[in-house]
Amino acid sequence: MRGLLSKVVVLALLLTVTALYLLPLWGALTTSLKTDEEIDLTSPIAWPQRPTAAGYINAFNYLKRALLNSVLITLGGTLGSVGLGAICGYALALYSFRGANLVFLLLAAGIFLPFQAILIPLFQTIRTLRLYDTIGGIVLAHTAYGIPMCAVMFKTFYSEVPKALVRQAVTDGSGPWRFYWKVVFPSTKLATVTILIFQFTSIWNELLFGLVLGGPRSMPATVALNNLVGTLAAQWNIQMAGSLLLTLPVLIVYIFLGRYLVRGYMAGAVTAV
Amino acid sequence: MDSSRMPVDRERGVRAFLSRHPFLILALPLGLVGYFVYGGLLWNTWVSFTNWRGLTPTYVFYGLQNYSRLFGSPIFLTALKNTVLLFLTIPLCIVIGFFLAVLLDQNLRGMGIFRNLLLLPYALSFVVTGTIWAWMYNPSKGILNTVLRQLGFSQWQAMWHTSQETVMYAIILALVWQFSGYAALVLLAGIRAIPEVQIKAALLEGASRVRIYRRIIIPQLKGAVMTVVIVIMMYALRAFDFIWVLTGGGPGYASHTLSIMMYKEAFQATRFAYASAIANVLLGLTLILILPYLYVMHRRAAQ
Repeated sequence: MRGLLSKVVVLALLLTVTALYLLPLWGALTTSLKTDEEIDLTSPIAWPQRPTAAGYINAFNYLKRALLNSVLITLGGTLGSVGLGAICGYALALYSFRGANLVFLLLAAGIFLPFQAILIPLFQTIRTLRLYDTIGGIVLAHTAYGIPMCAVMFKTFYSEVPKALVRQAVTDGSGPWRFYWKVVFPSTKLATVTILIFQFTSIWNELLFGLVLGGPRSMPATVALNNLVGTLAAQWNIQMAGSLLLTLPVLIVYIFLGRYLVRGYMAGAVTAV
Repeated sequence: MDSSRMPVDRERGVRAFLSRHPFLILALPLGLVGYFVYGGLLWNTWVSFTNWRGLTPTYVFYGLQNYSRLFGSPIFLTALKNTVLLFLTIPLCIVIGFFLAVLLDQNLRGMGIFRNLLLLPYALSFVVTGTIWAWMYNPSKGILNTVLRQLGFSQWQAMWHTSQETVMYAIILALVWQFSGYAALVLLAGIRAIPEVQIKAALLEGASRVRIYRRIIIPQLKGAVMTVVIVIMMYALRAFDFIWVLTGGGPGYASHTLSIMMYKEAFQATRFAYASAIANVLLGLTLILILPYLYVMHRRAAQ
C-alpha cells in the first residue's frame, strides 16, 4: 500500500514537472498553427480552432535557402571534424609517439577555450582566404574548432580497444592504416555514430560562426531565423513555425537516435571531466 | 612521358610513404588546431595591445590602453557582473537536476520517456529557445503572463526580459529550464553507478531513505556534480547565442555579457583592438576557473 502511494506521488510529481518543461514548446506549437487574428483573440496555449499551415509556408519560404546552407555546413563540418578528430583519437589511444602527452593536453584544453578569444583572427583569416560569405569558410571554422572535442571523445572510446590486439597487429605486420580499417573501425561503430550525431546537432544548432563568417549567400538557418525575428517582430505564428522547422532535424535525430545523443552528452561530460 | 601511368605511380608513392610514416597525417588536424586555436589566441592577444580598427589596414602598438579603458567603462563592468551572475544557473540546475534525478531513479515504468522529455530542451538550438522564450515572456500576449492571469496570479505578471531589473533573472530562469534536464541526466548516471550492495546493506540496517541519500548517495555524486559545474560554467562564460536572440544585450546594456559586448564592439563598431581586449579578459577568467581543474584531472589521469 505504502509502495503504491509513493509510486502515485512520484508519478504525479513527474507529470507536473514534465508538463511545466513542455509548456514553452507546447505554446510554440499551438501558436505556429494559428492566424494572426486568432493569436490576438485566444490564449497562447489553447489549441487553434482552425489550424492553418500558413505560418509554416511563410517561414519555409523565408528560410529555405538558409536551411539548404545549414544542411551543407552541417554535413561538411561534421565530416571534417569527426574524420580528422578520429585520426587524432586513434593515434593518441593506441600508439605511443613522442609528444603524445603534449598533443593530448593541447587538444583537451582547446575544448574549454571561449570562441570569442579567437573570433577576430578567425574572421581575418577567412577574409584573407577569400572565404568570407561562403559555405566553405564556415565549414572550415567548424572543422578546426570541432577537432579537439572529437579527438578527445574518440580517444576515450578507442582506448577500450584491447592493447593486445595492437601488439598482435604489429607482429602480423599490418600497419596502423590496415589495423584501423580491419579492426578498430568495425569494432567501434557505435562510438563513430555517437560522435557523428553529437557533432551534427552541435553544428546545426550553432549561431556565432554563421553570424560572423556568413553573409546573404551562405548564412545558416540559425542566423536567418534570428533575422526573421528582427524583421517580423509581431508575427508570432511565423516565428514559432520557423523555430519548429529549424528544430525538425534535431527532433528526428532525438526521436530515432536519442540513445546515441544521450551517449554523446555523457561522453562529452566524461571528456570534460 | 606516359601520362596514363602517372596518377597510379603517384598514388602508390603516397600510400607507400604514408604506411611508413602513418601519423604524418596528424599534421593536418594538428595544424588546423594549432593555427586556428593557439595561433588565434596569440594573434588576438597581440591585437589587444594595438589600436586596430577593423576597416583600417594599419595599426600601431598601443600598450595597455585598451585594457585601462575597459576597466573604466561602466558597460564593461555591467558585462562582467552579468557574466558572473549567470553562474547562478549552476546551483539552481544542480538542485533541480538532483530532484529530477531522484524522481527518475524510482524505477517506475516509462521512466525513459520522462527522462527524454526533460532532456529535450538541452538538445534544442539556443536560437530556437531564445525565440520561443521571447514569446513566453512577451508582456502583453505571451504565454507566461497569460497563464498566470488565467490561474489567478495576476500580481505575478512581470515585464520579464523587457525590463532592466528583471532581464538577467528571466535569462537565468530560461537557462535553468534548458540545462536542468542535462544536470538530471548526469546526476542520474552518477546515482546508478553506486553499487546496489551499499544501499541494500544500509536498508537492512534499518536506515531511512533520507539517511541513505545523505550518507551514501550524495557523497558519491562529487564527480557528477563537478561535471555539471564545469559544463554549465563553460557555457555561462561564453554565453552568447541565447541572450543575443532574446534581448540582443538589452534593454539598454542590462543584459550585456562579455561575449555580447565583444561581438558588438568587434562586428558592429569594428573596434577590433578593444574587442580583442574584452575577449582576452574572458579568456583570462576562463583560465583562472578551468586551469586548476584541468591540472587536477591531468594529475589524476597520470596516476
